[in-house]
Amino acid sequence: MNKSDSEKVVITGIGVVSPIGIGKDAFWQGLKEGRNGIKPVTLFDTSTLNSKLAGEISDFKPEAILGDKGLRNLDRTTKLALCAAKLAMDDAVFRITEENTNDVGVVLGSTMGSVRSISEFDKSFIKGGLRAVNPALFPNTVINSPASEISIWFKIKGFNSTISSGFNSSLDALEYARNFLILRRAQAVLVGGVEELCEQTYKGCYKLGFLAGSVNGNKELCAPFDLRRNGAVLGEGSVMFLMEMHETAKRRKARAYGTVEGLGTSFDSTRTYQYNPRGTALKKAIKNALSRCNKSANEIDCIVSSANSTVIGDYSEAKIIASFYGDEKKPIVSAVKSMTGETFSAGGAFQVATGLFSINNQCVTPTINYKEHDARCPVNCVPNQSRPLSVSNVLVANSSPMGINSAVIVTNAGID
Amino acid sequence: MATERADLENEIRKLIAKIFEIEPEKITPSAHFVEDLGSDSMLALEIMAALEKKYDITIPEDQLVKMATLEQVTKLVGSLMKAKN
Repeated sequence: MNKSDSEKVVITGIGVVSPIGIGKDAFWQGLKEGRNGIKPVTLFDTSTLNSKLAGEISDFKPEAILGDKGLRNLDRTTKLALCAAKLAMDDAVFRITEENTNDVGVVLGSTMGSVRSISEFDKSFIKGGLRAVNPALFPNTVINSPASEISIWFKIKGFNSTISSGFNSSLDALEYARNFLILRRAQAVLVGGVEELCEQTYKGCYKLGFLAGSVNGNKELCAPFDLRRNGAVLGEGSVMFLMEMHETAKRRKARAYGTVEGLGTSFDSTRTYQYNPRGTALKKAIKNALSRCNKSANEIDCIVSSANSTVIGDYSEAKIIASFYGDEKKPIVSAVKSMTGETFSAGGAFQVATGLFSINNQCVTPTINYKEHDARCPVNCVPNQSRPLSVSNVLVANSSPMGINSAVIVTNAGID
Repeated sequence: MATERADLENEIRKLIAKIFEIEPEKITPSAHFVEDLGSDSMLALEIMAALEKKYDITIPEDQLVKMATLEQVTKLVGSLMKAKN
């Protein structure tokens, strides 16, 4: 076995709970159609705000996926992640048994997942004193609770970790899972990201001026790369993957959707909560990811961008991606967040799932709501409609206003 | 008096059934929470907190061991309510 074979990890299961569909097939159909998951928020009151939209999962019924029992005290974040984990394992036809449970791990990207639970817990104490507090809700207030609940729910006994690195959490989680597999410290890993939509996060982002429509006079819309864009629209959801070594997957005759190659990452220490218009760190991250899998930018068929309709974020990401191609070739760069909204810690996992869709369906996904061209974003963003494309290698680029920037390459290696 | 006690027992049965996520009928007066109904320490704490809130009482920590069946809980809550009034 050569080195690359011994390091080949594949995705054998995809579980998605998203604003454009629940389950991998519904999500993929949504991507293909360019379905809009952005709608007026119903989970909380937005009447005092100028922003009123989000990628809310209005029809989320966890009991339909997990059964009626045991959900009572779990928060929305945990239920989203549990559903995605169940769907991923079902999709992979993977069962936890007494024999394999010690070799299965869980790693989940989540950063703001417990904000609402902390806030609601505190509120009940402030309003009613200690007597009003339900001790069973306290576990929800810690950030590693959703990952732990996954292991508890499915009786998984291998490692359990939570990665909270903001926008890059899911991609960092994928790298973490890869390392466990390559070091042969796990046979299979449930890996992904989750973030729920809640009043606390929404209003926090609103006050920061991060949301579309949050600045007076701006129209609220989710239109990455479009000249009219003026901020992000939040989304929610969870994507979980079952990741295995290629040889393990082959042995159990599992279907592989593709390979996730090594992560490239770089920290931009210039600002706080602002995108760096120069995109220096993103450029390094992409270079790093390409060199880790010995590929050149020209071998990349399309790019799944983290563009989220923010003015500087989309501009710097488009500019950096374009810089890898020169003037003669306009790269194909689609923004899945135009359909789902900004799903924060889950965003990277959504992008990887989108890349796997493109590889398995030979189709590039659209950037919806695109109308007015912005010359400062020199990419082909696949406006509004998906289209057939021969896809073997996808670059997932993830820029962030919180410093960490990263990139991974998703390839068709391992698909038999 | 007996009716009052039966009413209280029924109320508590419903509250506990909700926490255990089982049918109220399964909680007979003498069914043991841990051995017969699969309870654990977290559920016990939740029951305690819910009872304190509902009946505006304080259950001393050392009484937790005496809360193993519906009969015992009803007796304890009844006496704490009586002491309060």
